[in-house]
Amino acid sequence: MAEDSQASGADESRRETIRKLLDAGLDVEAFPRCDSHEQVQAVVRRLQGLDANDLPGRLVVAGVTNFTVEHPEAELAQPCETCMYYLVHRNYCELPELDIPVEPDWSCRLWRI
Amino acid sequence: MANLLWLQGGACSGNTMSFLNAEEPSACDLVTDFGINVLWHPSLGLELGEGVHKLLRDCVSGEIPLDIFVFEGTVVNAPNGTGNWNRFAGRPMKDWVRELSEAAQFVVAIGDCATWGGIPATAPNPSESSGMQFLKRDRGGALGAGFVSKAGLPAINIPGCPAHPDWVTQILVAVATGRAGDLKLDEFQRPATFFTSFTQTGCTRNMHFAYKVSATEFGQRKGCLFYDLGCRGPMTHSPCNRILWNRQSSKTRAGMPCLGCTEPEFPFFDLMPGTVFKTQTMMGVPKDMPTGVAKTGYIKLTAAAKAAAPAWAEQDIFVV
Ligand code: SF4
Ligand code: SF4
Ligand code: SF4
Repeated sequence: MAEDSQASGADESRRETIRKLLDAGLDVEAFPRCDSHEQVQAVVRRLQGLDANDLPGRLVVAGVTNFTVEHPEAELAQPCETCMYYLVHRNYCELPELDIPVEPDWSCRLWRI
Repeated sequence: MANLLWLQGGACSGNTMSFLNAEEPSACDLVTDFGINVLWHPSLGLELGEGVHKLLRDCVSGEIPLDIFVFEGTVVNAPNGTGNWNRFAGRPMKDWVRELSEAAQFVVAIGDCATWGGIPATAPNPSESSGMQFLKRDRGGALGAGFVSKAGLPAINIPGCPAHPDWVTQILVAVATGRAGDLKLDEFQRPATFFTSFTQTGCTRNMHFAYKVSATEFGQRKGCLFYDLGCRGPMTHSPCNRILWNRQSSKTRAGMPCLGCTEPEFPFFDLMPGTVFKTQTMMGVPKDMPTGVAKTGYIKLTAAAKAAAPAWAEQDIFVV
């Protein structure tokens, strides 16, 4: 239990850091969305090449936004909330290359359902 | 007593290895308890050289009644349709296959290679391999679409890479003990008793599938392998989670995605780089849906199921 609350406290403070970065207008690459497998792989490879502590870099490359992006052609909303990497009860992105606390209505271009 | 002859074409012997690991009944039990007389098998046969040649000729001529002809591996046609890349007992194996199939009461194709061509027939298929009556999903193969053996059945296809020993022994016992009439074959000539349910049927990760909780890396005990790691369990017909491997486990129970090895297209996407162990998506939606599920329904269901997922579904419940 103590470990759980420590983890959620740490999540909350990292979420706040991310929120501030996004609110301040961090210029993330939300487009093009990763439509094909090759595009997914290219973005994942770039994420893997980043320094493990480069949080802004991860947000930029993955195109994390603090609002839900609707895929322009698919007319499909792509919120974290419905993404396969999203842990509902922790509000957390479990994609190993991202590994960040998020909010349900945030989004990124690696979204997959 | 039922005479059984087992030959191998373009094969890795994986199905033989699987068969020799059979328990209840074991390969020996087939002989001692179920009256199967193994005339010859590449790993068990005693005859060599001219002895094998004579045995095969006698089977073809009918001097030795051939009840069950089992073939493992592809029928190799290269180069240029001659079959000379796979010669056996003095001639192309494909010629023996045709003549022995015509002489046999029952023909049983074991493993993906013999059923649909499997890995050797993957594009560009340099060995010009085919299965007995299929090349991937297309009917025809080495024996032709209309082939039926003397007992009136097409080749009984037991796919898998390799086939599970129980699938093999149970079909051989059924045929050898006069119960072939009870076998219902599906559209791909697979025994329906094994290949109607899905790999997913009985998978311990089904609740994670239901609540859309994904495994994101190998070795995680929680999470379903469909969403990210390419599991084909929901669209592959096999009893791998009903008839367990080594009577213990299955790929998916152990955290390894099902590769869909019992389906004619295996290996999928012609093994293009990045297609193995990775769910292929288009605009974030899986390209291959669970069998019978439409894309829009899948998206709606996923959103609803994820919203309803209980906290335990996101944790490792297989506590040691
Ligand atoms: S991968 Fe999914 S959960 Fe993670 S940030 Fe992107 S959309 Fe959100
Ligand atoms: S791991 Fe595979 S077989 Fe198991 S529930 Fe998930 S998709 Fe189905
Ligand atoms: S789990 Fe899938 S890949 Fe593995 S043996 Fe069964 S059908 Fe084949």
